Amino acid sequence: MSAAVGKNIERVDGYGKVTGKAAYTGDLNIPGMIHGKVLRSPHAHARVVKIDGRKAEQIPGVLAVLSRENCQVATPYIGAMIKDQCLVAFDKVRYAGDIVAAVAATDESIAEKALAVIEVEYEELPAVTTVEEALAEKAPLIHETIRRARPPQYGRGASYIVHDKSNICHHFRYQRGDIEEGFKASDFIFEDTFYFPSAHHYPMESNVSVADFNREGVTIWASTQGPFGLRQEVSRVFGLPLSDIRIIVPYVGGGYGGAKGLVPSIIGVALSRLARRPVRVNFSAEENFKTICQPRAKIIMKTGLKRDGTFVTRRCELFLNAGAYVNSTPSVAEKAGYRGHGPYRLPHVLTDAYAVYTNTVPTGSFRGFGGPQVAFSYESHVDMIAQRMKLDPLDLRKKNLLTKGEDFAAGDTPTDCDLKGALALVADAIGWGKKDTLPVKSGVKRGKGIACALKDGGGTKKASHAIVKILIDGSIVVFSGSVEIGQGIQTVLQQIVAQEFSVPADQVRVNEIDTRYTPFDTATNASSATTLMGGAVLRAAIDAREQLMQSAAAAFSVPRTEVEFDDGSILCREQRLGLSDTMRLCFGDSGGEIVGRGFFQLPTDLNVPLGSPTLFWEIGFGAAEVEVDESTGAVKVLKYVSLTDAGKIMHPVQCRGQDEGAAIFGLGQALFEDMVYENGRLMNPNLVDYRLPRFRDLPPEFKTILLEEGGGRGPYGAKGMGEGGILAVAPAICNAVYNATGVRITQVPIKTEKLLEAMNDRS
Amino acid sequence: MSERLVPIKFRVNDRQNEIEVRPQELLIDFVRERLGLTGTKRSCDMEICGTCTVLLDGRAVSSCSLFAFELDGKDLTTIEGLEGPDGLHPLQKAFIQCGGFQCGFCTPGMILLAKSLLAENPNPTREQVCAYMDANICRCTGYQMIVESILHAAKEMKSRGS
Repeated sequence: MSAAVGKNIERVDGYGKVTGKAAYTGDLNIPGMIHGKVLRSPHAHARVVKIDGRKAEQIPGVLAVLSRENCQVATPYIGAMIKDQCLVAFDKVRYAGDIVAAVAATDESIAEKALAVIEVEYEELPAVTTVEEALAEKAPLIHETIRRARPPQYGRGASYIVHDKSNICHHFRYQRGDIEEGFKASDFIFEDTFYFPSAHHYPMESNVSVADFNREGVTIWASTQGPFGLRQEVSRVFGLPLSDIRIIVPYVGGGYGGAKGLVPSIIGVALSRLARRPVRVNFSAEENFKTICQPRAKIIMKTGLKRDGTFVTRRCELFLNAGAYVNSTPSVAEKAGYRGHGPYRLPHVLTDAYAVYTNTVPTGSFRGFGGPQVAFSYESHVDMIAQRMKLDPLDLRKKNLLTKGEDFAAGDTPTDCDLKGALALVADAIGWGKKDTLPVKSGVKRGKGIACALKDGGGTKKASHAIVKILIDGSIVVFSGSVEIGQGIQTVLQQIVAQEFSVPADQVRVNEIDTRYTPFDTATNASSATTLMGGAVLRAAIDAREQLMQSAAAAFSVPRTEVEFDDGSILCREQRLGLSDTMRLCFGDSGGEIVGRGFFQLPTDLNVPLGSPTLFWEIGFGAAEVEVDESTGAVKVLKYVSLTDAGKIMHPVQCRGQDEGAAIFGLGQALFEDMVYENGRLMNPNLVDYRLPRFRDLPPEFKTILLEEGGGRGPYGAKGMGEGGILAVAPAICNAVYNATGVRITQVPIKTEKLLEAMNDRS
Repeated sequence: MSERLVPIKFRVNDRQNEIEVRPQELLIDFVRERLGLTGTKRSCDMEICGTCTVLLDGRAVSSCSLFAFELDGKDLTTIEGLEGPDGLHPLQKAFIQCGGFQCGFCTPGMILLAKSLLAENPNPTREQVCAYMDANICRCTGYQMIVESILHAAKEMKSRGS
C-alpha cells in the first residue's frame, strides 16, 4: 500500500465544491424556517433612551421583535476574552452599526419593513474613532466596566497590566534583560513609527446561521470556525447546559479569523425562542463589514545596535485600535507584543502592547493574529537601519537572525527551522544583488525588497480531541471538530488515518461536525489544525490500531506480542488477515466496532512567557520586485517569492495553496485594503469602495518555496501554515519601493498619491 | 395588493422550463429558491465579486443584478449543469487536480466564468486568463492555482478535441 501522506490525493471536499453540491449554511432550508434581520445604530456612541417595537409587531408576517425590552437571558454579554458586547443594546450603542433590535418574519422584505418602524430614541454621546482620541484626557469612557473572565496566566517575562477607568482594555508587557543597559551598550539607536490598516476579512460567504430553539434545546447550523466556543457562548447567554446545545457546521465559505457565526447565532437563538420557529440570520456584505475587522495598529520601534550591526536591544510600543467590542483582540495584542522582536537575537527587550476601545467596528482575530502588523514594522525598521548604517539589508539580517535550535525566548520552543538558509533561498530567488534582468522601460522605477518574519503558531493552550472508529467491514470513520474552512483539513486527517492503517484514502471517511457527537476541539484557528488535531487523530488511529491488535490476539488466543500490524493487515504467526477479516474474527456475526481516542494539548508551563510552549514557529519569508510608475506613483508587484516551512508537506497542492492565498491576502493590506471612517462612520462597507486583490494583481511571477525541515510537533514532523505567507508581504513590497524610488513607506496600504508626491519631492 | 406574474419560457441546464415569476424577482433568488439550484452563491450583491455568476446563452452574467424575467427565451447554465453523463467537465476536474479552490464558495462562479472564457478563447495565455477572470474574486487561493486550473483544462479540452 502506497503512503497517503505527502501525496496530492483528491480532496475530500473537491467533488461537492466543483459541482455546487457542497451545502453551506445559507443553502439550508429547515422546515418552518423564517428570516431574521437586525436594526443597527446610526450613531457611533449614544445612550438608548427609549425603544418601542410595538408597531413592528403589528405587521403581518412578523413573528418576533427582539429588543432589551423583552430580551430575557442569563446574561446579555458575549465576547471571546472580555464579555463586552450585548446581543442587543441594553444601555448604549458604541459604534455606528451596533445592534439595537432584531425582527423575525416570514420573509426578509417583511422583516426589513418591520425594522423601519421600530422607534428608537437616542441621546448622542461624544465618540472617539482613533487610539489617540481614546487615550486623550477626558476622553469618553466607552465601557464603564471591563468584564474579563479571568486574568490571563502569563509566564516568565510576560505580564498583564490593569488600567482603571481607561479605554485600554488590555495591556500586555513582555520584557527580558534590561533595555536601559542595552541602550547604554549600543553604538547606534534608531526609532521609527509604523501604521498598519484595519482590514476586513471579507470571506465570500457572509455571517450566516440558522437557529432552532425548542423544548429539547437549541440546534444551530452555523458558518463558524469555532463550534465549541459558540456552544459555550450560547450556553452562557441562554443559561442552558452544553448538552442541550447542538452546533452543526455545514461547509464554511471562508473564515480568516473573523469570528464568523457568533453574532447571527446568538441573535437567531433569541429570535427563535420568541417566534418558536427556526430562524435564519444572514448578514449582507455591508453588515459583515460592520461586524468585525482587523485592529488598526500604530507601532513604535526603537532599536539599539553595535557599530558592526549586532542588535543589542529593542523597545517596542504597540497600539491596537480595538473598536467597540474586542472579541480576541486582547490576545492579538499579546501575540503581537510577544512577536515584536521578530526572528532576531535581541538580549534586551521591552514591549508594551495596548488594545484600546474606540467607537468603531468591533475587532478580533485576523489571519496572522498581530503578526503582519509587527512584521511590517520590524522588517521595514531593519531596512531603514541598514540604509542609515550603509549596510546591506541582507547582511544585517543574516548577522542577527536566530539559528536553528536557538531560543526565541528562554523557556519557549527553540527555533525549529534554518532561518539563514531560508533567507538565502528567497534572496537567491529574487536575484538579490544581481542586475535587473527585465527589459528597461521608461517612466518606471524598479526595485527589490526582502523581509523575514515568524510567528508563534498553533495558538496557546489549545486542546484537540478525536475519535477514530474501525467499523465491522474495515472502513474507518474519523470524528474531528476541526472545521473545513478551505484549508483542506478533512483531506489531511484522511491522509493521516489512511497512512496509519495502510489503506486507500477513500476507505477513511471524515465526518461533518455536530457537537452532539463530535469530540471537543478549541477552535480551527492559529494554523493549528494539521499539527494539533492531526496529532489527536494520529493518536486516535494508533489507539484504534492497538485495540484491534489486542482483540485479534484474544481471538487467536495468543499473547499480544505475537500480533503485528503490517501493510494494512494483521499478522499473527503464519496468518495474515485484512482489516475487515480481522474485525469479523474479533466481533463475529453480531457485529461491533473499535473506538480509538486521541487527545493533544501542550502543557501549561510558566517558564514560558505565554504560559505554554509554542506549538511550532510559523515562518514567513518573502522577496518582492516592484515597478513604480513615475507619473502616477502606482506600484506593481512584478515578482513575489514566498517561503515557509511546512515541517512535513502533507499535501503539496494544499500546502502551496495555503501559502499563496496568505501572500495575496498580504498584498491586499500592502496596497489597497483599509476601513475608512469619516465622523465616526465607516465609509467603505462594500466591494465598490473597499478594494480586494483581484486576478489583475497577481504578480506575473509568483513563486512559493516550501521547506520540509521536519521540526514540527505535528504528525510526521508537520507544522502549521496558512498565516506565515502573509507576514513578509507588506515589508518586502515597501522595502522594494524604497529600493526603487528612495521613498520610505511607513504606513500601509501604500497611498499612490502620497508616494508620487514624495517621489517628486526627491527629484 | 396583488402583483401581476410574468410567464417565462427558458432552458435551464439543457431542460425546457415554463414558470411564472414576480416582476421584481432577482435572478439569483429565482435560481436558488425557486429552482433549488443553490450552487449559485451570493456575496457582494452589487456585481463586483462574480460569486453569483451563471451563464445566459453561454455568456457569464451576475445573477444578483438581473431580473428573473430576463431569462425569458434564454438558455441558463448553472454549476449544477456542468457534470455530464461522462462525469465532471474538464474544468471541474482541473480545479480539483490543480488546487483551484479552497473554501469553494466562489468556485461555481469561477468555473462558469472560465467556461465562458474557454468558449471564446480555447487557447488563452496566462495574461488573457487573468484579464478575463478579473471579473470574479476569490479570497482563498491567491488566484495562481485557479489560473493553472484553467490553463490545464484548456489543454485537456484541446487534446480531447471537445
